[in-house]
Amino acid sequence: MMDWLTAGGAFGGGKLLFTGEPLVIGLVAVVAVVVFGLAVSGSWRSRLPELVSLLVGLAFVGLVAARPVWLAEGERVEPGRFVVLVDASRSMAVAEPGGQTRFESALALAKRLQATETFHFGGELRSGSPSVADLDGTDIAGALQAVSRRYAGEQLAGIAVISDGIDRGGLIRADAAGARSLDESVLPALGGPLTVYAVGEARAVPDVSITDVVSGSFAFLRAPLTIEVRVERSGLGMESVPVTLTRNGQPAGSGVARFDAEGHGSAVFTLVPDAPGRFVYEASVPVAAEDAVPTNNRMSRVVRVVRDRVRVLQVCGSPSLDQKFLRLFLKEDPGVDLVSFFILRTQSDLRSGFSPDELSLIEFPYRRLFDDDLSTFDLVILQNFDYEPFFERDSTRLLGNIAQYVRDGGALAMVGGDRSFDLGKYGGTPLEEVLPVKLGVQGESVDEAAFAPMLTEAGARHPVTRLLADVAENAALWQRLPPMHGTNLTLGAAPGAGVLLRHPSRKEGGAGLPVLAVRQVGSGRTMALTVDSSWRWSFSEAALGGGNEAYLRFWKSAMRWLVGDPDEQAVVLELPRENVEPDEPLRLTARVRDAGFAAVAGANVVGTVIGPDGEVPLSSPTGDDGEATFLLPTAQRGAHRVKITATSADGAALGSAETVYAVITRDPELDRIGADAATLQALAEATGGRFVAAGTWQEPLRDATAGRTIQDRRESPLWSAPLLALLAASALALSWWLRRQSGQR
Amino acid sequence: MSSHPSRRGLLGAAAALALAGPRAAFGFGAPTRVDVAELQLARGTLSRPNAWSRLLLETVQTTSVECTPRAVQLEPDDPELFAHPFAVLVGDGEFPSLGAAAREQLVRYLSYGGFLFVDDTSGVPDSPFDKSVRALIQDCFPTRPLTVLSAEHSVYRSFFLLREPVGRVALHRRLEGISLGSMHPLIYSQDDVSGALDRREDGLDLHACVPGGEIQRREAVKLAINLIMYALTSNYKHDQAHVRQLMQEGRLE
Repeated sequence: MMDWLTAGGAFGGGKLLFTGEPLVIGLVAVVAVVVFGLAVSGSWRSRLPELVSLLVGLAFVGLVAARPVWLAEGERVEPGRFVVLVDASRSMAVAEPGGQTRFESALALAKRLQATETFHFGGELRSGSPSVADLDGTDIAGALQAVSRRYAGEQLAGIAVISDGIDRGGLIRADAAGARSLDESVLPALGGPLTVYAVGEARAVPDVSITDVVSGSFAFLRAPLTIEVRVERSGLGMESVPVTLTRNGQPAGSGVARFDAEGHGSAVFTLVPDAPGRFVYEASVPVAAEDAVPTNNRMSRVVRVVRDRVRVLQVCGSPSLDQKFLRLFLKEDPGVDLVSFFILRTQSDLRSGFSPDELSLIEFPYRRLFDDDLSTFDLVILQNFDYEPFFERDSTRLLGNIAQYVRDGGALAMVGGDRSFDLGKYGGTPLEEVLPVKLGVQGESVDEAAFAPMLTEAGARHPVTRLLADVAENAALWQRLPPMHGTNLTLGAAPGAGVLLRHPSRKEGGAGLPVLAVRQVGSGRTMALTVDSSWRWSFSEAALGGGNEAYLRFWKSAMRWLVGDPDEQAVVLELPRENVEPDEPLRLTARVRDAGFAAVAGANVVGTVIGPDGEVPLSSPTGDDGEATFLLPTAQRGAHRVKITATSADGAALGSAETVYAVITRDPELDRIGADAATLQALAEATGGRFVAAGTWQEPLRDATAGRTIQDRRESPLWSAPLLALLAASALALSWWLRRQSGQR
Repeated sequence: MSSHPSRRGLLGAAAALALAGPRAAFGFGAPTRVDVAELQLARGTLSRPNAWSRLLLETVQTTSVECTPRAVQLEPDDPELFAHPFAVLVGDGEFPSLGAAAREQLVRYLSYGGFLFVDDTSGVPDSPFDKSVRALIQDCFPTRPLTVLSAEHSVYRSFFLLREPVGRVALHRRLEGISLGSMHPLIYSQDDVSGALDRREDGLDLHACVPGGEIQRREAVKLAINLIMYALTSNYKHDQAHVRQLMQEGRLE
């Protein structure tokens, strides 16, 4: 009651402060003087009690306006705090031979220690006692640093760390020779004695784990790719372990990793990627019956295989000016690995009388080229080449090989001349099925008249004929290029082909005959150029002082498009990374373009992500820019395959694409699971603390003198105390009552 | 010897060609076939159209190259030069320095794919023509001097396997050239190769070949065909596939 009346103040040691605003105090004083002056006017001797009461009342009002506060200050001492840090990383979830997990042991220890404050840590420090051991990383030094910062300047009774000692932070360093030691520089000054409790026993847990699959994030096509699979062993006596490597689920190699004295080993695989793209390489080791952590026995990594050089096969039926300039271009391009075969002599040249021994000719290895080596080429150029005299009875099979090579992802260009297209008798063969033009011309199959090819609408934007970025400048460039001298005749474009250049006057089906046409066939691409004088785009331009840029750009662009440069597919999937961390945001962009390479708006892009735990559907329309974006699932560790198909609004197939990515399967917490008591002991020694081995008990070090001084400061606002208001009101009321008793109003 | 290719091995595929019958056409008209442009200067140069016609006919008969057996005469600054990627400069006397435009065009011609065969017909060392040729090359390619082509050069195996280059005479028995990129777009002989090829309208040879007579002429024809083939295929015969095969067959050391 008294506290209430006095607002809890005015008792004990302290001092009085007035916190009112001087202006307010002055105003109240003036008002009080005026009121009192008015009350005093007239006879005041007979009214002395009334005036005294009034004076007292006004004084209390003035006191309230001055806002008095009673300030009491003091200090008290409390015992020092005992802080416990519990390792809650995933390695603590490992069960010991007795069946109890390390984490359960740690919780029992923590309970016995009766901590003032309890924290848990993995890669970072968190308040409270943990309920489950599922944190990433183990940073013992980081946890101690956080505690040091938190209790800076305070004397702690003690600190206890409970851990299996498998530190993934910076506590342990290795020198050049690989020797491990404690890095004392990362340890903070602690506010109290440290006791380190070890849980788990080293090498008590039987486990074989893949700790890393080491390779670059990309490799070169047909160049050796080295993949090193690193393994570790604990609690098992095996000297080696078989390692299996797969690529996209198919066997890619097997080897043996031999363990050294410390239980480390590795198996090295040297592969030669035979196709560009993204591939999932997964390494695995067998799971033994007693293996404590089967999930760390396999690991995936995605490697992107890129071309460093485009391997081109140029087969020409006759040395010619057209062949000369194309070879010069291909040979001078450092990005091209060129294999040329030119037919320098035919049966009709035998009458010249020169002996074969005088000649520098070799046999045309057509069987090896088109049977065995075909798949090693990115691009096959048949330049004015007639197959029939060479392939003979193997014609159907060898041409079928080339067609299948295209369907499987290869690239083919047929260049015109008197041995090409229908003049080369390709009509009705398996090869015609993949060409961008229809063959079977009856009668005249060549037009020798000069003409200027016309750029089509598709050609204006197609990468093969888009020699300049500006559309108008590009069209002007094509118009000024020198004319072509003659062309093979065809029956027009094949279904699905894009026509980029047309003949200005020769028509088929109402449209100008294709001079340059391209086509996607299966996974591969083909191009038909029905002239044999494209070299004039180089040489005649040079005559005008313009160099040969147009010719070089044309063939460079054609080559890039034909070999399926990833940027020049109808459906392109773009991933910023191929290997991501769990739950890391990963956005996939699908770009859809039509045969003329125009962005397709409103296309339906559907697909699936096939991951370790099943399939996730994807579906989105493309925007005006022809792009659709998807947020890919990254919660589950392991390889994921994305399959995308795009169709136009009317249901026509536009193309499909696939890619892969991996949510890294490496869990550092499970790389090594053998408890590391030595690290913990070294930590205790480095800090002058106590080490308590696993399965034993000692009291923690406690500093009995540790304490913390609590500073007390108490402010009591007297001006708001009810007693003061009561006194003021009572005095004013008494004055008013006496005034009325004396007959005044 | 099994290391040598069989005749069928070399030309077996071609055997089927005879059964295939004649082709419908040979090239798409003259502009796409090989011919020869003779560079003509005010003095010091010669024109030997019959020599080049003979070479082109021999080439057609011996190889699969399609040629138009003709020679056109052009001045070095004639833009028409770029319609004829194989050119020759033949002479026996001193010729005047080229003007800036002609020199610039000649450099561009050779830089962008043209080929020039220079033939000194004088048959003597240090001829006035030779001095003019070297001065011309110094003017056009000051940083690319003429060098003697090694015995391994592609021009010696572009079609025939040649041991040494000879022409109407066999004084120098060497070829020189300047290199640009991976090929020599200018090759120079001082043994009058065109003299060995040249003939009268009635088909008889104009000049005797010394000292080797008709055998030497045959070698000169082979060299000239190799020049055509080299101009078209550059270092093709140095591709690994060819070198390996020729060495396996013992035809190349």
